[in-house]
Amino acid sequence: MSLLDSNKAIQVSPTYRLQWEETQDMFVLLYPEGLIELNQSSAEILQVCDGKNKLNDIVRTLEEKFSVTGLENDINNFLNTALGNGWVTQSA
Amino acid sequence: MVGSLKAPSPPRWLLAELTYSCPLQCPYCSNPLDYAKFSNELNTDEWKRVLKQSREMGAVQLGFSGGEPLVREDLSELVNYSHELGYYTNLITSGYNMDEAKILELKEVGLDHIQISLQASSKELNDYIAGTESFEHKKLVAKLIKKHGYPMVLCVVLHRENVHQMKDILEMAIELGADFVELANTQYYGWAHHNRDQLMPTQGQLKEAEAIAKQYQVSQEGKMKIYYVIPDYFENRPKACMNGWGTTFLTIAPDGLALPCHFARQLPNFECPSIRDHSISEIWNESDAFNYFRGDKWMKEPCRSCPEKDKDFGGCHCQAFLLTGDATNADPVCDKSPQHHLISEAVERAAHAPKEQPLVFRNSKNSKRIG
Repeated sequence: MSLLDSNKAIQVSPTYRLQWEETQDMFVLLYPEGLIELNQSSAEILQVCDGKNKLNDIVRTLEEKFSVTGLENDINNFLNTALGNGWVTQSA
Repeated sequence: MVGSLKAPSPPRWLLAELTYSCPLQCPYCSNPLDYAKFSNELNTDEWKRVLKQSREMGAVQLGFSGGEPLVREDLSELVNYSHELGYYTNLITSGYNMDEAKILELKEVGLDHIQISLQASSKELNDYIAGTESFEHKKLVAKLIKKHGYPMVLCVVLHRENVHQMKDILEMAIELGADFVELANTQYYGWAHHNRDQLMPTQGQLKEAEAIAKQYQVSQEGKMKIYYVIPDYFENRPKACMNGWGTTFLTIAPDGLALPCHFARQLPNFECPSIRDHSISEIWNESDAFNYFRGDKWMKEPCRSCPEKDKDFGGCHCQAFLLTGDATNADPVCDKSPQHHLISEAVERAAHAPKEQPLVFRNSKNSKRIG
C-alpha cells in the first residue's frame, strides 16, 4: 500500500509543527492538544520535508548526510505512515 | 514522602486555568462545586512566572482554559509571552463574546489553535445546557476561526440529553470545518458528579451513538479526525488517568494552586502546593502532592498484585475518592475492585432517575449554596 506520490513535493502539514526540545533532547511534532516524540530517523526525515523536496531528494539528501545507501525503503515506509496520519502533505 | 525516589520525568502539558469566571452554566462543568470561594486570581506577572518556569522544566503543550479564558483581559499578553517561550498554545473556549477582532489579535500574538465547545446540535438544547443564549454566535465564531486559518477542535460533551444528536453533531462539525472533533462523554467529577443521575445516558443510547461515531471516523478519514472519549462508567477497566499521576500533566488553578489533576484540590487531607509559595520545579519534583501517587508504592490490593497496574496505574484516584471515600482504593470502574458495584448501581439508578429532578446549573449562586 503506497499513498505517497513520488512526483510531488512533501511538506510538514500546516496543522503540525516540528520543534527541537532542548530539555527532552529530541524533536517533537506538535499539533492541537498533542505531541509526538520523534526518534532520530523520523526527525531527520521530517526536517527535509520542506515543500520542495520529493521522495528522491529526501533519500539522496539523507544518504549523503549519513554516508549510507539503501534508505529508500525505510524512508518511503515512514512517509507513507506520516501521510496517513496527516503529519505531512503533498501539494495538489 | 511517598512514591518513587527516581527523578520524575518533566511535565509536558501545562493547563493554565486562568479564571473560574464563565458566562456559561453547563451542569457538567469540571470546575469544583465550591469554585465561588476562590476569588484570589493570579495576576499577569504571576502567570508569566508559571509559564516561564514550566517551560524551563520541559512543558511544551499549553492550554489556556478556565472558566472562560477570554474573560481575562491579559489573555493576549499571556499568549504572546507563551509563544515567545516556544509553547504550542491552545485556547479552550466557549466562544462566548469572541469576535473577529479578537480572533485576529490572538493570531497575531501567536496563538496556535482554538478548541471551541458546542453543547448540542440544536439551538434549543445548546442554549438550555449552556444556560445562556449562545448557539448562533458559537457557530459564527467557529466559522471565523477557520476563516483565519487556525486548526480547530470542536468539543461536544455528551450526556443523556444530547447523545441522541450524534449524527447531527458530526454533520455540524463537517459544516463548520472542524479539523478535529472531540466527542467527550461526561466524566463525573465536580458539577457532573452532582448531576450524575440526570446526565448519565443509558447503555442503549451509548451503543447507538458510538456506532454512528465509528461510521464517521471511517467516512471522514483524512479530512476530520474524530476522538471518541469513552464513558468510563460503562467500561470494566479504568482509564490511565492523566497518563499517570505527576508524569505528564500540570494544572495551575486560577488562584495558583498546582494540581496533578484538575480535581485534586478536592481530595481531603491533601495539600496542593501554591505557586505563590513554591517554584514549579519544587512543586513538580519535591511536593508530597505530586509524589503521592507516583510509582506503585501507594497501591493496595487488588492493584498492587495486578498485572495491568503499569497500564492504568490503578485508574483515577479522584474517582476512587468520590465513590469510595478513599483515593488509594482501586478506581471502582475496574471490575476487579471490590467496590465495582458502586458503578453498576449508579448506571442502574440513572436509567431510572425521575425525570422531574432538575439539573443544577453551574453558577455562583449554586456554588455558594452547595459548594
